[in-house]
Amino acid sequence: MRSRTRLAAAAVVTTAIVASLVGCSSGGSGSSSASKDFTFWSFTGINAKADVQAYEKAHPGVHIKLTEVGSSTDTAQALTTALAGGKVPDLVLIQAADLPKFVENPDNFVDLNTLGAKKLKPDYAPAIFSQSVAAGGQVLGVPTDVGGLALSYRKSLFAAAGLPTDPDQVGALMPAWQDFLKVGKEYTAKTGKPFVDNAETSIFYQEIGQGSEQFYNNHTRKLDYTNSQVKSAFDTALQAVDDGITANLTSFSTGWAAGLQKGAFATVATPSWMLGTLKTDAPATKGDWAIAKIPGGSGNWGGSYLAIPKRAAHPQAAWNYIKTSQSPESQLQHFLTSGSLPTTTANYTNPKLLGSTDPFFSDAPTGKIFTEAVANMKSFYVGPDSGQIGTDFLNTIINVENKKISSAQAWSSALSAIKQDVAK
Amino acid sequence: MTVTATRRLRPRSRIRESVFERSAPYVYVAPFFLLFAVFGLFPMAFTFVISLFDWNPIGTKTFIGFENFTTLFSDPRFWNAAGNTLSIWIMSTVPQLIIALGLAHLLHFARLRFANFFRMSLLVPYITSVAATAIVFAQLFDTHYGLINWVLTLIGGSPVNWLAGQLSSQFVIAVMVIWRWSGYTTLLYLAGLQSIPKEMYEAASVDGASGWRQFTSITIPSLRPIIIFTIITSTIGGLQIFTEPLLVNSTGGLTCGAGRQCQTLTLYLYEQAFGDYKFGYGAAIGVALFIMVVVIAAINFALSTRMKGSRS
Amino acid sequence: MTGTTAELTATADVSPATPDSGRRDRVRGRRGRIGKVSWWVYGILLLAAAGSIFPLYWMFVVASTNSAAASQMPPRVIPGGNFAHMVGVVFSTVPFAQSILNSVIIAGVVACGQAVLCALAGFAFAKLQFRGRNALFVTVLLTMTVPAQLSIIPQYMIISSFNWVDSLQGVIFPALASAFGIFWMRQHLASTMDDELMGAARIDGASSWQIFWRIAFPIVRPAAFVLGLLGFVASWNDFLWPFIVLKSPENYTVQIAIQALQKSYTVNLGLAMTGSFLATIPLLLVFFFVGRRLVAGIMDGAFKG
Repeated sequence: MRSRTRLAAAAVVTTAIVASLVGCSSGGSGSSSASKDFTFWSFTGINAKADVQAYEKAHPGVHIKLTEVGSSTDTAQALTTALAGGKVPDLVLIQAADLPKFVENPDNFVDLNTLGAKKLKPDYAPAIFSQSVAAGGQVLGVPTDVGGLALSYRKSLFAAAGLPTDPDQVGALMPAWQDFLKVGKEYTAKTGKPFVDNAETSIFYQEIGQGSEQFYNNHTRKLDYTNSQVKSAFDTALQAVDDGITANLTSFSTGWAAGLQKGAFATVATPSWMLGTLKTDAPATKGDWAIAKIPGGSGNWGGSYLAIPKRAAHPQAAWNYIKTSQSPESQLQHFLTSGSLPTTTANYTNPKLLGSTDPFFSDAPTGKIFTEAVANMKSFYVGPDSGQIGTDFLNTIINVENKKISSAQAWSSALSAIKQDVAK
Repeated sequence: MTVTATRRLRPRSRIRESVFERSAPYVYVAPFFLLFAVFGLFPMAFTFVISLFDWNPIGTKTFIGFENFTTLFSDPRFWNAAGNTLSIWIMSTVPQLIIALGLAHLLHFARLRFANFFRMSLLVPYITSVAATAIVFAQLFDTHYGLINWVLTLIGGSPVNWLAGQLSSQFVIAVMVIWRWSGYTTLLYLAGLQSIPKEMYEAASVDGASGWRQFTSITIPSLRPIIIFTIITSTIGGLQIFTEPLLVNSTGGLTCGAGRQCQTLTLYLYEQAFGDYKFGYGAAIGVALFIMVVVIAAINFALSTRMKGSRS
Repeated sequence: MTGTTAELTATADVSPATPDSGRRDRVRGRRGRIGKVSWWVYGILLLAAAGSIFPLYWMFVVASTNSAAASQMPPRVIPGGNFAHMVGVVFSTVPFAQSILNSVIIAGVVACGQAVLCALAGFAFAKLQFRGRNALFVTVLLTMTVPAQLSIIPQYMIISSFNWVDSLQGVIFPALASAFGIFWMRQHLASTMDDELMGAARIDGASSWQIFWRIAFPIVRPAAFVLGLLGFVASWNDFLWPFIVLKSPENYTVQIAIQALQKSYTVNLGLAMTGSFLATIPLLLVFFFVGRRLVAGIMDGAFKG
């Protein structure tokens, strides 16, 4: 009898809980009947809450349901699942690396031209904006920020090897990647330590962003990853490995983070968002870093776009948010508070941006150097398989660094890996 | 026919009970079956069907019949993942079951003190989340700053780049799996041991049998049904390892390293379905994995039922 | 003496209706091999216990120091004094207390639900005859072999159609139909409940329900309890599916909350370890209080020879 009462109690409690859940949540999911409210999926770690709250304050009556989903890849995966099967948010943030696969299937998103994107387009850097334009001309996203690109270096290590430490001088010393290799060999010969953190990310990955074409033909949008620009970047990276100037530390690995702290390498290619990483991982090196122009003179790593899924319930409200928060003034404001670079060209001549410096990096003109890199970029088509192709090239270089294959075999090894991965 | 006959023989009040009786099994199974049909059967059926298509989850869907499977058959990455999966499975299951047997045998002493402390401590790995475990093990096995390499250099060895090598990265994953499941398996075996009448052990010691002899002649045969159960469940689970390779090699991405050195089949499936948006191909890998698991589990079952049991 | 207490407690719960030599033994005294326990046995067991607990301890060491502690050489094995501060950061960054509550609700309902549903269905599979029984059982087992990752999209389609996205029931219901649970309960019942007992009860005129309620369920209660606890742990540690379904911070489970602690590009190790450690504490507490019952339940004749 005792056990029966206990079981009955458990059953009642369970039913009660389940019933209350059913009751509770159906209220929650269908709530936003007001057309000015909308749901927004963003990444963690970029303080999206602050932006949302600022908007709500400026527009009383609007309630934004923000979800900081996770990393950019997690958010993209959640978005894919939602687009494939069910409920989608009204507004979503997509990182540049994840964007091409979505652009390839433009029917999943609202063509922002229909909401007024044509008027906004001239405000933005063409090389950046063009990446969210589908083959048929539909505009799928508005760029929110870019990473830009620069070369971060340790002043004390440069000085110990007899190299200049002033940013302008360092930039003048290595205008092209061949100069970078030359200086690197000198450094390693003099100090016996690696010059750069790794070849695949700091050299190859950045150099392929500096050409007029990447892995696709710009006009036909067909695969063309064996073009001379790609090959030249690949060879530069291989040469760095063969010259022994890389530390063979994969970006963001534990060894890499510790290497920043301990001076295991003197240079690393950094976009603007990576400056924060350096500050977190190597707090003791404050003031010893500086920033110079990246060899090759241009580039961008990272950046995000705001998009509106087709099945969104409140596209107009989401569009209002995009228009307001991504205007040149708002982007400048955002830069001043969080340091993320704007994508609006008007800001690239703004003294507030050009004059900004960073004490951790010896007060180098960070704003100026990063935006110049973006401004110098050429537009090229980034296709749905660009990410995979890039990864295959990177992995091949890593294999060479780990001595799994020789540099002579590297090119054919990369090509066969790519052929498998992007078949059809 | 029989029911009708008995109905006439039974008093009227029993008719309702008979009807209820016949439907009773279905009633008991119904709640489970309803949920199972929706959340268990449908996804599985969906997977089988979609493997016949070329499907981009946010794009187009085209029927291609068995083309996914013919591609799979000649795909070296698939065979690499299959080899990795089998190798990790063997490296993790065999030591795990042996360790569990040994620990259970040791825990089986009647006069063991602090028995509950030992038993509960063995379950701590099981309740730790896999994600946290992966981060911890990634740190412990780090090439430059890991505890394991530090101990290695202390005793005169040289540091190993664990996650870069094929066998070494699989070893790390196997260690994680062994660490996680040994305690749980130990307790299952211990449970079985508890039902062995102590007269058997008493008689054996009277006969002068050593601890080892008691182990092989009494313990193992009595545990046969449980050993079979653990072999089957660790086969099914071990061949589907996903979170460990994904998280322990955090810079390796979905390929678990530049050379796909520790990519298991489930991870490869995930890479194709969610990374490359080739969901049909991913589903085909899932079907291949399904066949592999069923075949291997069946083989394991056949082999282990040939084991000497305590009744034979 | 601790062992005896556990065993006697377990014995008290078992219905004396089932004849069993093992149980009679237990009532008489301690089970196990006779003989003195050598010191090396304790040594090995201590080693096993230490190895089991060390990673969790190390998690605490990193959590109570900072990220740099993880890459210290020689490695640090002593906790620092930073734990309270890190806990504060965790609680202010994500709605941690709310997420614990959500996890408790979800895991609790899944645990009870699985125990009840699988006991019922397991009883039917083990002891009742009906058409399609074996085929259905094998089908259930077969679903265990398909990786969960493939189920994500079809399940999301279903959940969306019920309008259960971003709700706790979207996480609970798919977890209730546990194939493992059926396997577990059926095996337990098949090996512990005699057919003769059932036959005798039927002759006495008992209906299936009475057989289940008065005979099978009391026998199977320890196993159902264990299954419930296993289900609780699995549900508590589950990340992938809850992550897909739940989108509002107030609905987060504890695993999603600790993922959300990490920044976009870099892992703040100290914070991640703090979160992971905090997420394990409720399970440790559950273990502390019901651990003996769990252990005794697993041991309470989970399988007979």
